[in-house]
Amino acid sequence: MSERSEETPTLDELREMTPEEQMIAGAATDGVYVVHRRDRFPIPGTNAEKRAERAVALCFVIAALAGVGFVVAFVAIPYQWHLPGTPQNFRFYTPALGGLLAIMLIFMGVGLVLWAKLLMPEEEVVQDRHEHAASSEEDILMTEATLSVGLADTGLPRRSLILRSLGLAGGAIATVPLVALVGGMLKKPGKQLFHTLYAPDAATFPDTNGMVPLVYSDWRRVSPDDLLPGSIATVFPGVRALGPDGKDGVHSASSPTLLIRLRPGQVVKPRKGQADFGWPAENPEFLAFSKICTHAGCPASLYEQQTTRLLCPCHQSQFEVLDDAKPVFGPATRSLPKLPLGVDIGSDGRQYFHARSDYKEAIGPAFWERP
Amino acid sequence: MTEDFDVEGELGFEPAVPAVPDLPPRPARTKRRGLRRRLGAAAVLLVGLASMGGAYAAFAGTSGASGTTSGSDNIAAGKQLYETSCITCHGANLQGVTDRGPSLLGVGGAAVYFQVSTGRMPLAGQGPDSERKTAKFDETQIDQIAAYVQSMGGGPSIPQGTLRDQDIAAGGELFRLNCASCHGTTGRGAPLSAGKLIPSLNNASDKQIYSAMQTGPEDMPIFSDNQLTPQEKREIVAYVQTLKASKDPGGNGIARIGPVSEAVVIWVGGIGVLMIAILWIGAKTQ
Repeated sequence: MSERSEETPTLDELREMTPEEQMIAGAATDGVYVVHRRDRFPIPGTNAEKRAERAVALCFVIAALAGVGFVVAFVAIPYQWHLPGTPQNFRFYTPALGGLLAIMLIFMGVGLVLWAKLLMPEEEVVQDRHEHAASSEEDILMTEATLSVGLADTGLPRRSLILRSLGLAGGAIATVPLVALVGGMLKKPGKQLFHTLYAPDAATFPDTNGMVPLVYSDWRRVSPDDLLPGSIATVFPGVRALGPDGKDGVHSASSPTLLIRLRPGQVVKPRKGQADFGWPAENPEFLAFSKICTHAGCPASLYEQQTTRLLCPCHQSQFEVLDDAKPVFGPATRSLPKLPLGVDIGSDGRQYFHARSDYKEAIGPAFWERP
Repeated sequence: MTEDFDVEGELGFEPAVPAVPDLPPRPARTKRRGLRRRLGAAAVLLVGLASMGGAYAAFAGTSGASGTTSGSDNIAAGKQLYETSCITCHGANLQGVTDRGPSLLGVGGAAVYFQVSTGRMPLAGQGPDSERKTAKFDETQIDQIAAYVQSMGGGPSIPQGTLRDQDIAAGGELFRLNCASCHGTTGRGAPLSAGKLIPSLNNASDKQIYSAMQTGPEDMPIFSDNQLTPQEKREIVAYVQTLKASKDPGGNGIARIGPVSEAVVIWVGGIGVLMIAILWIGAKTQ
C-alpha cells in the first residue's frame, strides 16, 4: 500500500539538506505537508524569550514546591487543625492535601502547555486523505465473487430446511453454556419470601399460644401505653432464633413494622376480611403495617400524624393509613400488608402486643411467583 | 404580480414597510436629559418608599403585646398575651376555631415553648405547614403564655435542666431508628407530601428538640416518655447537637445534603473549569 510520491528526494539530495528540510521531506513522503513553520524566537536571547522561559520554569518550580509541600503537610499537619478565624471553621488537613496536589498537577500541566505555546516553533501541518484507501477494482470484483460463490456452494439460500434446523442447533449450543454459567449463580429463594418471622411458633412462645410478641429494637416488649395518640414506633418480631436469612427477629430484613396509634377521630376503613387486624378490634386505634414499601423495598416510615399519610422517601409513594395503607401517590400499586394485632397480659400485669399471625401476603415489592 | 416581488433585488422580497431614510441623530443634550429625568424619578420613588417603610418600622414597633406583668402572676400575664396574639385562631377558651387553629387544651407548656420560640406561632399565613422564623416573644413572655396554656388544659410542661446525656452512641442509634427517616441522617430535613417540609435541625436548641419530641408538632409523631424515656430523649438531643457541632473532615460540608450539592460543585464548577482548560490548550497562539 505504501508508494513513493514524486516528492521523495534522492539520497544525494537529502544529504544536501538541513535537518529541518530533511524532516519536512520525510513528512511529505507520508502525505503530511508542513504548510507553515516559523521559529518564534529566531534571534536567540531576546528579553521576550527570556520572559517566556522564566514563565515556564516558574510553573515547574511551583509544581515542585507544591509536591514538597504535600509531603510536609501529610507528615506534619495534625488532622484536627483548623484556622481559628475562618467563618466555616472546617478542618484543614484534607483540603490542604487536596489543594497542594491540585496545584502540583495543574502547574505541571500549565507549564507544559505554555512551553508549547510560547517557546516551541509555530507549525501548521496538513495531512492528505489517503488517496488509494479503497482496494483496486480487480481486487473488489474477485473478492466479491469468492464470497458469493462460497455462499452458493453451501446451498443454504435454497435449502431452507437445513437453514432452519441449523438455526435451532445454533441457538441451543449458544444457550447451553449460558444456562450452565448463569444458572449456577441463581438461587431460588423458595418459600422464604412468603413468610416473615411473625409466623406463630408454639414451641418458642408457649405463653402466648405461639403468637410472636412485638418488641422494640432493644428487645423490650411493646405495650399500648407506650404510644400516645399520634405516635409511631418501629417494632420487630421478638424471635431470637435465626431465620432462613441468617438473622434474628430484630435484624431480619422482612421484620420492620410500623406501629401507628391513631388520633381520636381518625377512623380506619379496613380491607375486606381484615377489619379486626387493628386493636382494639371493634374500633381500631392501633395499626401495624409492614414498613417495607411495596414498590422497591425502602422503609416507608415518614408518617404524618395529622394527614395520616405514610411517605416512602425513595420514590415518594404515599400510603393513606386510614384507607388501610392504600397507595394514593407515587409508583407503589399495592397496599402495605397489615399485621393482625393481639394483646396479652404480661407477668407484670401490663398489656403487651403480639402478632396473631403472619402477614396475609408476601411483604415488600413484587416478585415473579407472587400471586 | 411580479411588481410585488423583488426577485432580482438584494432582499429577494418586497419589504412590508418602505425603508425610512435615516433620521439625524438625537442631539446629545436631549438624550442625556431624558435619561437624567428617568433616573431622577426612580430615585424619588426609592427614597419615598424607603422613608415610608422606615417610618412605619420605627414608630409601629412590635405588636400591641407588651410584656406587662399586671400583678405578679405569670398566668395572668400569659392570658393577656394570649388574648392579643393567639385568641383569633385558638379561641377564647383554647378550644380552637374551625379551619383556623386547633384546640390547645392538653398540649402543655412544652408545645407552646416549641411553637413560639421557633417563631412558627403566631402563624404568618395558612399554608401546608408553618415555617421557622424570628420569634416574636422573648423568653419571659413565652414562659408566661406557656404557664397560661398549661393552667387551662395541662399537658407536658417546658423541659427543665440539662437536656443532654453522655451516651452519644446510643443517641445516634435512637436517632437513626426514629428520626433519621424524616429528618435525614445529617439532620437537614426532607420534603413531605403535598408541599410540606420537614425542617432542618440546624437552628434547633436543646429545649426545642426535646419539646418537639415530647409534643409532636404539626405532622411530627409524638414520642411519649414511655416510648422514648427522658434519658433516651436526652441521648438523642446530645447526639443531634454533637452532630451539628462536629467539623467536616473533608473541608466544606456544602450544606451536608450529600450528592445534590456535591454534584453541583463537580458538574458546574469542576467540569466547567475542565472545559475552559480544554479550550485554552487547543487555542491558536498569536
